[in-house]
Amino acid sequence: MKTPILEKKYKKLKLKKKWWPKVENAIETQNLKKHFNEIHAVDGIDIQIPRGSLYGVLGPNGAGKTTTIRMLSTILHPTSGDAEVLGFDIKKEAHEIRKRIGVCPQELVLYPRLTARENIHLIAQMHGLTKKDYKEKTDDLLGKMNLLDRANSLVKGFSGGMQRRVNVLMAVIHEPELLFFDEPTAGLDPQSRRVVWDFIKDFQEKGSTIILTTHNMEEADDLSDELIIIDHGKIIAQGTPDELKGRLGEGDILEFKVKEIDQRDEIIERAIKLDFVQWGKSVGKHRIVINALDGLRRVSEIMDQIKVKMEDISVRKNTLEDVFIDLTGRRLRD
Amino acid sequence: MRESNTAKQLWYLTLKNFKSMIRERSQLIWIFGYPLVFILLLRFGYGLEVYKLFAPGIVILAPIVLISQLAGHFAEEKESGTLQRLITTPVSRSTILLSGLLSQLIVAAIQIVVMLLLVFLSGATFNSNANIFLLFFIPFLVAFTSLGFGLLLASIVKTASSAGGLAWFIILPLQFLGGLATVPLVDFIPTSLGAEALGAVMIYGSTAFDPIGLNLIQIAIWGIALILLGIILFQRKTAIL
Repeated sequence: MKTPILEKKYKKLKLKKKWWPKVENAIETQNLKKHFNEIHAVDGIDIQIPRGSLYGVLGPNGAGKTTTIRMLSTILHPTSGDAEVLGFDIKKEAHEIRKRIGVCPQELVLYPRLTARENIHLIAQMHGLTKKDYKEKTDDLLGKMNLLDRANSLVKGFSGGMQRRVNVLMAVIHEPELLFFDEPTAGLDPQSRRVVWDFIKDFQEKGSTIILTTHNMEEADDLSDELIIIDHGKIIAQGTPDELKGRLGEGDILEFKVKEIDQRDEIIERAIKLDFVQWGKSVGKHRIVINALDGLRRVSEIMDQIKVKMEDISVRKNTLEDVFIDLTGRRLRD
Repeated sequence: MRESNTAKQLWYLTLKNFKSMIRERSQLIWIFGYPLVFILLLRFGYGLEVYKLFAPGIVILAPIVLISQLAGHFAEEKESGTLQRLITTPVSRSTILLSGLLSQLIVAAIQIVVMLLLVFLSGATFNSNANIFLLFFIPFLVAFTSLGFGLLLASIVKTASSAGGLAWFIILPLQFLGGLATVPLVDFIPTSLGAEALGAVMIYGSTAFDPIGLNLIQIAIWGIALILLGIILFQRKTAIL
């Protein structure tokens, strides 16, 4: 199945249609569900993820992202529905899948009394790499993550950021066809985050398919070819970051905090009377978000119209967070 | 994609477990320190004659501490998520389980040799006809039953700290009922069977079927039953649901 993302890439490369390579999906799910008693953690997810793409899974905490990843990486059985990973059934051919995937869990899952090098070697050894293969590769990867000088130190003495980088390296040492990164940069400082992002992009360029779950919209926006937004176990939006943001219209986002909590609906009604205001939403307890064409220039006009005392205001271009707000009326971190 | 080799995976995992264990000072103190306390107490508190009587029981006492070691090891793997991380690689759960048992058996072998040397050097009776293989094999077989108890415990507990605490509910009855550094109260549990057989070999230089062979058969039955039950319960506990 050819997908719009790859079609765009081939068109960009001016590749004739008859030369387009045959593309299979790395992941296909049909009505995938996981229920824990009364809790519907994943509630009927249908996705097709083409090989070679970097696919973002965005959603707030508890949305079902990690549960989806755990099912696809064969450590959790679905309650119902079907899923194929790299052409193998997740229920019947888990062993085949495990040979071909790498998983970077959200938590720091390391052996504290092993060195950084030993932790990485262990995963390589489980995948059957020879010593010659993994020794050089490990040092190369440790160098890329600025960890080579601490390669022989026990990871229990590492900072959280260093442990997270080792956590990432353990997922990639065997150069898997499919990589699951579950919140790979949680808790990292901006500089380390950038190192991890570059690292993830490198792997995609080498041909791996990458599934990236995050609630960091900047991460999802910067890295993903395409993404899904999940809430309460269901997909609520799907598309490229630009397509998703494009749904909100061309305007700017004005966000402000108001004291009159009970008057927020009236304030929004007054705002949308202006023909250049496209939509408005209440967010959280005190905030209002408005999408307005040429919003930056027209702030004072809007303020005059809504006649409200505000405690602060910010104007910015719309983000994936605004897409989520538009869809749910909540923030990703709420 | 390369083909993984189960024997190599088992070796690397065993090595990993062993390294993790010897790098934790508190675990080393527990493995060697607990039986050493009994050597010192009985040798210097109760005198040489009493010590000679209880020396075989002290050697049997050593592998009993592996109950908390093994349960703690698997509980830590579950608690920290490393067990799940391993499951996402092409290694089977039985290989992971076997590597846990194997690393503890290596520890048991070292521990038994050290304990035999220590009781010998501290004045315990070693009959000149004592069979060296049996001196080692009897406590080693008791170590198997300890691993069975450890697996059962591992299938119940959720954290390494609770494994350490709950292990005492197994260690103390095995120790006191089995007559390890005390008078035995029952004669059918692995510890009393082991202490009786080891005493016969160590003090009297016996190689008789009764008690040695008979006791070894009974300890082996305990060991096989406990390990099988432990494997079933542990596999059930760590099954992918």
